[in-house]
Amino acid sequence: MRSGNLAGLGCILLVALVFPFLVDTYWQTVGILAIFYAIVAASWALLVGYAGQFSFGHMGFVSLGAYASALLVQWLAIPIPLGMAGAVVLSTIVGAGVGFICLRMRGPYLAIFTMAFSEVLRIVLLTENEVTGGAGGLEVAPLFHTRSNLPSYYLALGLLAASLGIMSLMVASRWGLFFRAIRENEQAAAAGGVRVVRFRVLVFAIASGFAGLAGTFYGPFIGILTPDIGSVDQMGIVVAMAMIGGAESLPAAVLGAFFVEWMYEALRAYGEWRLVIFGALLLLTMRFARNGLLALAWNQAVRVVPAWRRTQPAGGAAE
Amino acid sequence: MAALIEAIGLTMRFGGIVAVRELDLAVNQGELVGLIGPNGSGKTTTINMLTGHLSPAGGRIQLRGERADGLPADRFAMRGVGRTFQITQLFSRMSVLENLLVPGLVRPHSTWDAARRQARLHLEFLGLAALEAAQARTLSGGQQKLLELGRALMLDATILFLDEPFAGVNPYLRDEIIRLVQQLHAQGRTFVVVDHDLEAIQRLVHRLVVMSRGQKIADGTVNAVRDDAEVIRAYAGV
Repeated sequence: MRSGNLAGLGCILLVALVFPFLVDTYWQTVGILAIFYAIVAASWALLVGYAGQFSFGHMGFVSLGAYASALLVQWLAIPIPLGMAGAVVLSTIVGAGVGFICLRMRGPYLAIFTMAFSEVLRIVLLTENEVTGGAGGLEVAPLFHTRSNLPSYYLALGLLAASLGIMSLMVASRWGLFFRAIRENEQAAAAGGVRVVRFRVLVFAIASGFAGLAGTFYGPFIGILTPDIGSVDQMGIVVAMAMIGGAESLPAAVLGAFFVEWMYEALRAYGEWRLVIFGALLLLTMRFARNGLLALAWNQAVRVVPAWRRTQPAGGAAE
Repeated sequence: MAALIEAIGLTMRFGGIVAVRELDLAVNQGELVGLIGPNGSGKTTTINMLTGHLSPAGGRIQLRGERADGLPADRFAMRGVGRTFQITQLFSRMSVLENLLVPGLVRPHSTWDAARRQARLHLEFLGLAALEAAQARTLSGGQQKLLELGRALMLDATILFLDEPFAGVNPYLRDEIIRLVQQLHAQGRTFVVVDHDLEAIQRLVHRLVVMSRGQKIADGTVNAVRDDAEVIRAYAGV
């Protein structure tokens, strides 16, 4: 990783660590939700930005993880972390299954299929109200029995750091190279010996697993689950986050999630008009910065660090 | 001795249209074969079947004596079958070096250092070393053809199918491609070259196979095939 990238990530981590001590409880909650969305946006970026598999059903896996974790804990009376682990495994397996079924689908067909999967899941969760609570919601036991947001905040931050670390290692490895090759040209990848079927299923499974992980955290934090978590509206927000940030870069997708979540709260006074603002921002991104507005800004910023170093005299930085 | 690759009664249908009909074709180790024919004669479909990009509707493929039809393209590639495409297929937004690292890292025991070393050797051989950091999409048409060839070489392919390697390539690069193919052939690699450029292909190959309307109509030395009445008829469209 470039020194500028490391310095940038270090700064963000430092700000994230002290953030809850600088703000009130309301903004702590916003911060936790931003981190939840950041995990979802980063895993969507892995699937779409790196591997080119445009899924519009990613929030379906978030709701699958959330409901599966809550129901496992409720039915089997197991500790919440065990329920979370079980739900992540289930999301990964279902993700692999969906990935396998859509092997022959590309572009809009894949997007429509995955959206249909997510909608079917949402409607099942809505209809099976004896099990899921339906529209009334499913109550979920909290992870931490305290009024403070701090334990949840740092757990979320830990989950994000771990997710981002694992995904970054993956994209820097030969798997990441193969994912990008599949994104660029599946026929050429196959001619180059890449097992396209295996890697397409793999990336679906992994991205779905991380989406499920985000869901398993969301339930105990919010305390109640409704099927709307897997709605198309929610998916639209995640797409906006990743695209405005930059879907071909994991840190940029995370920054996109922070930025959009912050804007969503900062522009609350504008009511539904803030969605119009997001739409306009997304249009501008697609027109002028397809790799993401924040990725553009990030790349400019990380160039500053090595350039600044070169200007310093040998033996250390200037005073 | 078994042929390196052999098509036996190979057939391909697209809906009601028979693109390739009961084709028999054997290519031996070390041969340099030209596959020619008028447009729509089934040349590319044949290559697609022989490299796993299409599953034949009938017949079978033997690779080093083992049945290979129905295997996916990546399995063919891993068994030493390389190819280039009629319309160049690259990883456009990846660098020239990364384009070669992909096939260089598909084997489980390959390492980044070894793959990088190998890729740079091939880029040197192809005259693309100075462009290793450039995005593949920024290369000229001819350079892209060379990069595709490099990708096949990274697989250490023993047989390479080149689909129209001279299409859209300037005369200088065309001569360069001929020189490189001859050099690789002299090193022991087997080639099957498809092209419309009869002048170039006659300079390159030792054996010509001619297809028309999905069938093989001639197979022999360049001189014998050039004078074949059926070949003349097929090309003249009479």
